[in-house]
Amino acid sequence: MAQNRTGDARGSRAPIESKLERMGDALEQGEALLEILHDDDVFERELERIFATNWVYVGHESEIPEEGDYRQRYIGKDPFIFVRDENGEVQVLWDSCRHRGAKVCRAEKGNTTHFRCPYHGWTYRNTGELIGVPRKGDGFPELDVEEKGLHAAPNVDSYNGLVFASLDPDAPDLETYLGPSKWYLDLYFELADMEVIGDPHRWEIDTDWKTPAENFYGDNYHVPMGHKSAIDVGIGSETAKGEKESELYAISEVGGHAFSIYQIPDEDFFWGHPPEVIETFHPDRLTDDQYRVARQSGVSLGTIFPNLSFIYLGGSDDPDKDTVGTFCLRQWQPIEPGKMEAWNWIMVPKDAPQEYKDRVYEVGVGTFSLSGNFEVDDIGIWDGIPEAADSVFAERVNATTVFSMGRGEGTVAEVDESWPGPGTVYREGGMTDENQLEFYRKWHRTMTEDR
Amino acid sequence: MWELEANSLRESCENFLYREAQLLDDRDLLEWHETLITDDVEYRVPVRTTKERSAETEFSEESFHMIEDWGSLKVRVERMENDFAWSEDPPSRNRRFVSNVRVADEDPDAGEVSIRSNLLVHRLRANDTEPDLLSAERRDTLRRVDGSWRLADRTVLLDHTVVGTPSLSIIL
Ligand code: FES
Ligand SMILES: [Fe+2]
Repeated sequence: MAQNRTGDARGSRAPIESKLERMGDALEQGEALLEILHDDDVFERELERIFATNWVYVGHESEIPEEGDYRQRYIGKDPFIFVRDENGEVQVLWDSCRHRGAKVCRAEKGNTTHFRCPYHGWTYRNTGELIGVPRKGDGFPELDVEEKGLHAAPNVDSYNGLVFASLDPDAPDLETYLGPSKWYLDLYFELADMEVIGDPHRWEIDTDWKTPAENFYGDNYHVPMGHKSAIDVGIGSETAKGEKESELYAISEVGGHAFSIYQIPDEDFFWGHPPEVIETFHPDRLTDDQYRVARQSGVSLGTIFPNLSFIYLGGSDDPDKDTVGTFCLRQWQPIEPGKMEAWNWIMVPKDAPQEYKDRVYEVGVGTFSLSGNFEVDDIGIWDGIPEAADSVFAERVNATTVFSMGRGEGTVAEVDESWPGPGTVYREGGMTDENQLEFYRKWHRTMTEDR
Repeated sequence: MWELEANSLRESCENFLYREAQLLDDRDLLEWHETLITDDVEYRVPVRTTKERSAETEFSEESFHMIEDWGSLKVRVERMENDFAWSEDPPSRNRRFVSNVRVADEDPDAGEVSIRSNLLVHRLRANDTEPDLLSAERRDTLRRVDGSWRLADRTVLLDHTVVGTPSLSIIL
């Protein structure tokens, strides 16, 4: 990736405490501090506080269906092996040989019973257990192999196939972490059994990981301007194109995560899936309220703190082709201050016909991917932010970003008390920033709380 | 037999690739779409993952950075011409270096030839001083239509697993 001027390392200016304090002040005004989008100290603390503490997404069980299947994954910037061991259990093992630190897993994916370190040949079972030390008796008679297995993430748990890990031994359990957002996740992962198609798209972007996370918390305000070119050529969702009458709900205060859901009144829309796919769903797994919301759902998106987002698009990549329901799961990985790597997985109901899955995949690629007709314009816009955030002037004018939309006299977003699900829910959800504020509040709490 | 305005089949194919590179570098995308591809074109850029040497291939059969037909390419080309296509406005400056062209197979009855070539895209945006580089092998099938070549099938085999450019808002 091109090293432009925004990518240069530099010493920090104001100490991080002052930045976090000014961020706290800004949040009280419904604003955020621009500087946090490109700052060495903030980035370092994020690795520690945000990524090595919270429950971070690792992968989907359908990516490692067989015993011995593995994938390389990252928690923050730390390398882990996501593997289904010989007992069928999912393991999240730190990819570093206990002898001298070499990587024991050298391919991005594969199937193996053992990881053998190429340096001196220490060998680990796919459970992480150390079972081979060359010339052990001659050299390490006292070495206790039971103590020298690969380190594992202290907490690993899954929700409907989505595997998360927390590097904090004292983390609350995953269910607590997801909290009320589970009510919404169920719409996507409980109603249908979802699976990942193939391998993720991975690419580097010169912007901070928080910018897309913030966007996927619920920036629906950018769509008419940011994505005008895609809408003009007639692709994407019928709701965004205004072809269907719909209401957009913005949902926050569900455990620090957030969702945006289009509802198409009295329609069996199910994110654009056709009847033969809807037939494979399991309505009995949802409450009546959840089922009603799922049924009327058009485009839906959201983010699980810190960096796991999704968009469920009922749409097409070509105005001459039918609408399908395409689910893109994405993770915004921190690389360095002002730089990230996007990971994008396209998901589909497992029991849908193969031909349909292929179409879903094509629409995912054509809309939200490295080459996605929607995605490329987001990125074309975002990559200018780090340069401004890194400005001396940003600090001097205490530059903030504005999240006060929807507040004050005459604004159209309003809390919908009749909404059946948990959280604080706004109608005209495209005209409020409460979701994004939720993200930055949680971020700020996590960065500043006493530990 | 082939009726070529060139000394060899390979040279004729090279001429096609060079002309194509020029249109794409110059952002004459509509012209590219109208004159250089067949209406049953298949175009794909598979996802690559690092695998052990013993693996048959590093390229996915189900995952792609682009998987296109005539219609979806038309959508892309038209969108890129739109005044609100921020990823390419101001446009990235792309220079395609096409080399190592070889004829892999020919089928004169069908009027088709399979070729392989190397592609290096040197990509600069705004004030970049260091380019994004995209390196790949292309496997193409060209078809003779009304006395000239058209692209009927293309697979772009990237050397990248993590792609080092922020968006693929160009044609490879
Ligand atoms: S570092 Fe792995 S065996 Fe020595
Ligand atoms: Fe967007």
